[in-house]
Amino acid sequence: MTETDKEQGPRPDLVINGVGSAAGGIYGKVLIDGVGKVGGSLTARLFKANGQIRVKGGVKSREMEVNGILNLDGPLEISTLKLDGILHVDGSLTGESCVLNGLVTAKGDCELEEFRGVGGFTIEGLLSAGHIDIRLAGAGKAHEIGVESLKIRQEDSGIWNRLLGGIIPKLRPALTARVIEGDNLDLEYTAADIVRGGRVIIGAGCSVGLVEYRDRLTVHPEARIGREVKTGD
Amino acid sequence: MEDDLISKKELLDLTGISYGQLYRWKRKRLIPEEWFIRKSTFTGQETFFPRMLIKARIQNILSMKDDLSLDELASKLSDTEGFSEIRLSEQAIIERNIVTSVAMSAYGSAVRSEEGLYSFEQLLCLYTADTLLARGDMSLEEGRLLLRTLEKHAGALAGKPGELFFVRKMGVALFLLAPSPAELYFDEGVRLVAKVALGDLIEQLKGRLT
Repeated sequence: MTETDKEQGPRPDLVINGVGSAAGGIYGKVLIDGVGKVGGSLTARLFKANGQIRVKGGVKSREMEVNGILNLDGPLEISTLKLDGILHVDGSLTGESCVLNGLVTAKGDCELEEFRGVGGFTIEGLLSAGHIDIRLAGAGKAHEIGVESLKIRQEDSGIWNRLLGGIIPKLRPALTARVIEGDNLDLEYTAADIVRGGRVIIGAGCSVGLVEYRDRLTVHPEARIGREVKTGD
Repeated sequence: MEDDLISKKELLDLTGISYGQLYRWKRKRLIPEEWFIRKSTFTGQETFFPRMLIKARIQNILSMKDDLSLDELASKLSDTEGFSEIRLSEQAIIERNIVTSVAMSAYGSAVRSEEGLYSFEQLLCLYTADTLLARGDMSLEEGRLLLRTLEKHAGALAGKPGELFFVRKMGVALFLLAPSPAELYFDEGVRLVAKVALGDLIEQLKGRLT
C-alpha cells in the first residue's frame, strides 16, 4: 500500500482480514474484518469495518458502515454512517445522516442532517441536526442541542437493562443536556436546564429548569418543570 | 461593547426566523462560527451575535434563499473573491442606489481608477464616507480626509476586524483606524463623533451589491 496516492486515477483499496495494520492515506475502499489498526488519517469513498478497529487519526469517507468497535483519534466526516456497535470519535462528527444502533461518543461537536436509531450517545460539544429521532437504550448526553425537530423516546428495555440501569447510571436510558433549542421538541425522560422551542412537548420523566416556547407547550403530568415562559408575542 | 451584541432570543424575535433555521444555517456555514459569542448572564450561559453583522447577514440570506439552494448560498456568502473582482461604473452605482449621488459627485473622482470604474475597496471607501455623511456627523470637506485615511491605511487592516473612529477636538477632525477590539481613551476636550466597525460596513455593502 502506498502511503498517499494523490493521483486522480483509480485509488488503491485497503483490505485487512484477520489481524493487521496499515498506513493512513487516500483509498478507494477500506474493508476491515477482524482486528485492524491504521497508523494515520484516512480518506476513502467507502469504509466498511467489522470487528475492532483503531485509526490513529481522522476519517473522511462518503459511506461508512461499522459493525463492532471503531476508535478514531481524530474527527470524522461522512455522508452516511450506519453504526451497529460502538464508535468513539476524538473530535467532531460531521455528515448528512447517521443511523445508530449502539453507542456513539464524540469529543467535539456533532453536526448531522438526520440522526436516528436506537442506543445512546455522548456529544461533548453541540449536537446540531435537522432531525433527531432516537430511542434511548443507554444514556444520551450532549452539552447543547440545536435542531429543527427532536424526538426522544425510551426503548422498551428488558428486565436486565432495567435492573442494571438502577445500579449503573451510564446505562439508564435518559437524555441530559444543558440547553435544548429547536422548532419541534418532543421529549421524554430528559433532564435539561433550559428548553427553548416553537412547539414543545415535555413528556414523562422529564425534569426541566426553564421552558421557553413560542407556539405551544404540552406537559405530561409526571414531568417536572421549574418555570415556563411564552415568548415571541 | 454591550449594545453591539444581540442575544439569540432577541435576534429570533426581531427577524422572525426559528431556532431550527439558525442551526441549519450554521451547519451550512452561512453564519460563521466566530459570530456565536458565549457569555454568562444571570439566566446561565447565553449566545450572542455581533448585532450589525448578523442582522445584515440574515437579511441577505432571507432575500436570496428563495432563488438559491443553501449550498450555493454558502459559497456565495463566503466568497469574498467574487466581490473583489467587482468593477462598477459610476452610473451603475447610482442606479443601484449603493452610494448617494451627493457622495459620488463629491468624492467619486478622487477614488475611482483610471478607467472610471470602481473596485470593491474603492466602493467601500465611498460607502463609508456616504454612511457618515448620511448620519450628519461629517462635513463634505472632512470626508476627503476620511477617504485619504482609508485609501492609505485600510489595506493594512484587510482581513482583520477593524474599527474607524471619528473624533473632533476644537473643531479639528481626526480619523483613526484601529484593529478591534480596541479601547481608546481621549483627553477631555475630545468628542467621539462616530465609531463604526468596518466589518459591518463590508457586510452591508455586500448586501447592497447582491
